[in-house]
Amino acid sequence: MSARYDAVVVGGGHNGLVAAATLARAGRRVCVLERADRLGGMAAGGAFPDGTPMPRIAHLLYNLSPAVLNELGFGAGGPVETRALPTVCLDPEGRHVVVRDGSPVLADGRPHPEAEAYRRLAARLVRFGGLLARLADAPPPQVSERLADLAGMRRLGPLAALGWDFRKLGRGDRREFLRIVLSNAHDVILDELSDGPLAGSLAADAVRGAWAGPRAPGTVFSLMYRLARGGGAALPLGGMDAVIAALADRARSLGAALRTGAEVTEVRVEGDRACGVRLADGEEIAAGAVLVATAPGAAMRLAGPAHYDIEAVRRLRNMRAKGTAAKLNLRLDGLPEVPGLGPELLGGRLLLAPSVEQVERAFDPVKYGRVSEAPVIEAVIPSLTDPQAAPHGGHVLSAIVQYVPHAPEGGWTGAARDRLRDVALAALETALPGLSARVTAAETLTPSDIEAATGAPGGHWHHGELSLDQLLTVRPVNGMARYRFGPAGHYLCGAGAHPGGDVMGAPGRNAARVALADATAGEAAA
Amino acid sequence: MNARDSFAGRAATPVPQGLIDGPFHQRLAALNHARAWYDWAGYAAPSVLDTVEFEYFALRNAASLFDISPMRKFRVAGPQAEAMLNRMVTRDVARLAPGRVAYVLWCDEEGMVIDDGTLFRFGPDDFRLCCQEPMFGWLEDAAWGFDCAVTDETDALAALALQGPTSHAILKAAGLDLGDLRPFAHREVAPGLAISRTGFTGDLGYEFWGAWDAALPLWDRLWEAGRAHGLRAVGYEAVNIARIEAGFLTAGVDFQPVHAAERLHRGRTPRELGLERLVDFGKGHFNGRRALLAAEKRGPRSRLLRLDVEGHKPAQGALIYHGRRREVGHVTSGTWSPTAKRNIALAEVRAPWGTTKSGDLWAEIYTCEEGVWERRMVRARPQRAAFYRPARARATPPADF
Ligand SMILES: Cc1cc2nc3c(=O)[nH]c(=O)nc-3n(C[C@H](O)[C@H](O)[C@H](O)COP(=O)(O)OP(=O)(O)OC[C@H]3O[C@@H](n4cnc5c(N)ncnc54)[C@H](O)[C@@H]3O)c2cc1C
Repeated sequence: MSARYDAVVVGGGHNGLVAAATLARAGRRVCVLERADRLGGMAAGGAFPDGTPMPRIAHLLYNLSPAVLNELGFGAGGPVETRALPTVCLDPEGRHVVVRDGSPVLADGRPHPEAEAYRRLAARLVRFGGLLARLADAPPPQVSERLADLAGMRRLGPLAALGWDFRKLGRGDRREFLRIVLSNAHDVILDELSDGPLAGSLAADAVRGAWAGPRAPGTVFSLMYRLARGGGAALPLGGMDAVIAALADRARSLGAALRTGAEVTEVRVEGDRACGVRLADGEEIAAGAVLVATAPGAAMRLAGPAHYDIEAVRRLRNMRAKGTAAKLNLRLDGLPEVPGLGPELLGGRLLLAPSVEQVERAFDPVKYGRVSEAPVIEAVIPSLTDPQAAPHGGHVLSAIVQYVPHAPEGGWTGAARDRLRDVALAALETALPGLSARVTAAETLTPSDIEAATGAPGGHWHHGELSLDQLLTVRPVNGMARYRFGPAGHYLCGAGAHPGGDVMGAPGRNAARVALADATAGEAAA
Repeated sequence: MNARDSFAGRAATPVPQGLIDGPFHQRLAALNHARAWYDWAGYAAPSVLDTVEFEYFALRNAASLFDISPMRKFRVAGPQAEAMLNRMVTRDVARLAPGRVAYVLWCDEEGMVIDDGTLFRFGPDDFRLCCQEPMFGWLEDAAWGFDCAVTDETDALAALALQGPTSHAILKAAGLDLGDLRPFAHREVAPGLAISRTGFTGDLGYEFWGAWDAALPLWDRLWEAGRAHGLRAVGYEAVNIARIEAGFLTAGVDFQPVHAAERLHRGRTPRELGLERLVDFGKGHFNGRRALLAAEKRGPRSRLLRLDVEGHKPAQGALIYHGRRREVGHVTSGTWSPTAKRNIALAEVRAPWGTTKSGDLWAEIYTCEEGVWERRMVRARPQRAAFYRPARARATPPADF
């Protein structure tokens, strides 16, 4: 045994780093082991061939947990400087809509006819999202009988028992919450708005990363999740990589050891207690606790199914995780002139989701293993806002492309990958004509590439679908919702745990706090 | 011609309807004067062939043949078969030597018993599990992640129980001298035919395991050898009396197998069934271990007791009272034991009356004689040992009778 730590953290994505920093801050000796050559996981940066930084997978902050920031001492400014971006709902007809602080206007400055309806709907969803945000900062409460029974969600009592704090909602809001919480985004959005780019943008936000179209039940919940912290999107200056660097620096300065190129192949268990890990090169590291930030199924396999109950293994195996989000990163030698979209708007969060209906239709092909011909896209050109984004000149465009199957018919051949790039480019062309001509380098990451790079099953955004049957007390699966993961001293601390994915940090923080509480209780008993 | 017969122009293969025949059916049908069949896992199985009394006394005083082919039989083989089974059952499989059989239990994640059965070990990597309940899907789940294969041998393997004091003499007469075979041992005596010294009666006895289509010659061979030794074919009713005497549990009768329970809290832990000796907390993780450790701390909610009931009216279904007033449980199996000459019962009794203060228990027995109902409160005294446990069941070599 080479070293002895109080805890090792498997996976150096942002959640692993937050978990390590949280533990180190409490005086524990911690080591993070990351398989890849760089930290960050899905939030890790990359580079184009000319050295220009690339926002490889994740690109915007929507959901970073204030509790994490406070506890790690980042203060109100957060780990890096950010810029709030307007949302620009692209319209193939040119009637683009801009949303700032929850209020839409037409891109040419004229008022949007449905501005008031949108404001009311968005404000309500943000209020409901706030309930979720409060739930995010603690393990889901224990309930004696499981709430897998979704009928329970139609009544306030069981939800209150789950920790939903309804006191801040008025009577009408409470009724409205119960009416829509289990329903689908399509109906809730189109009850208030006519179909078009503005409605489409909400639908796109409801299904980002999901294996679901906006007509699927549960998509109102995921929309609330997306809007939990006000619904804005912020561009971190220096990219997601800077966020990861800041978290890594904080963990290091608190005393955590961070290792890359260290693949864990086994979590060692003795006497029903995790006692360390083994690395691919055979090195063994002893530790009092092991926190795993990989997907839940992979975390179970690291300890071995023999250490789990049969039912738990079955649930973990069957946790749904089919990623649908691909990434297209473009290096541009300049920007096309887009009538009606000046640099300020082009630098916003560009949403290509012309209508709710088209978002739903974009989902259909992926069910049959095919790429959407008219994909839903969230794109950002960070170089318009952040001078560090393209230090050698030109521009960078980062696009999340949905829906793209993880395992397409015929597999991800080179030709299939090129076609995905062309389909995505063609879709962007409809709103940004002339874009293709400016591309000097492109990287396409399919869900399967994302899986290979990070280990997330299916390349899934949340390490496992964020659907009604896989959240709160049943996330990742029934019986394992409170971060303790099988043998004593083994914890799940990544996006597969409550509350879920996004660059948020809540799973890492909450899991570390449970591990700390357990260690303290163990020390008191000893 | 109906539509089904003409479908795709093919001749229809008859789909069996109702109960299907087991491998010994021809012989059993010829002997079944009572014509009493019941459904055992889809097979027509005899409840009585002649009269219960004749069959029971043959079983206890001479020998009996009982078809146990409808039992579920699963082969588990592969380099990690032992690890897989050890994670499933509550006993330590590593301590089961090849050639031996163990009585095992397995629980769900909440520590509630799914079923019990016998586990045969053939070699380091080769096992067979026999039990009552259909279990293949569960075993597939249990085997996930382990390098081993589970095969359902239920319909490929005929099984026959030869039980009673003269069973060893019959074996010898059949040319099978297994005098050195110890209780809970098994051996292959000919290619494809294995014999184990196991049974469900608490007495000396053997079980035969062979190919389905070689079943009738096996039956005939034993039948022939048994002529001079009082051998009788028996039905379930006689076996049931014997198993209550021996204190063996029947799933679905004495406890609710948790997979068959739809209501909450109907499952039982091994300790609640009085089977805690079959749970080895020290061997490493097994299914339900963490829940069972927590249950140990809380204490059992109830306990399955062996009761000696006053009088001679079978206590089947009777409610159990404490101090004649407080209802604290119910009889799960009750019978008059002709051999022990006692009125015996298995009963589930709630804590603490079933656990720490199990005195002053009463059974409320209803009887009906020619249309007149009577109710009696009779003493019910907990017993530690089985009601019937003859030394001959354990002697090696067994004596001839
Ligand atoms: C295309 C796409 C775009 C996204 N865009 C955004 C966005 O803009 N904003 C946002 O908030 N969220 C976004 N997300 C989601 C977000 O990136 C993830 O939810 C989040 O980064 C997950 O963080 P994590 O720390 O839980 O796990 P990960 O980031 O997946 O980290 C897990 C780490 O564990 C490592 N690992 C795995 N196995 C082992 C092993 N055996 N040994 C050692 N290390 C191991 C992996 O290499 C990885 O680094 C996006 C997701 C996708 C798929």
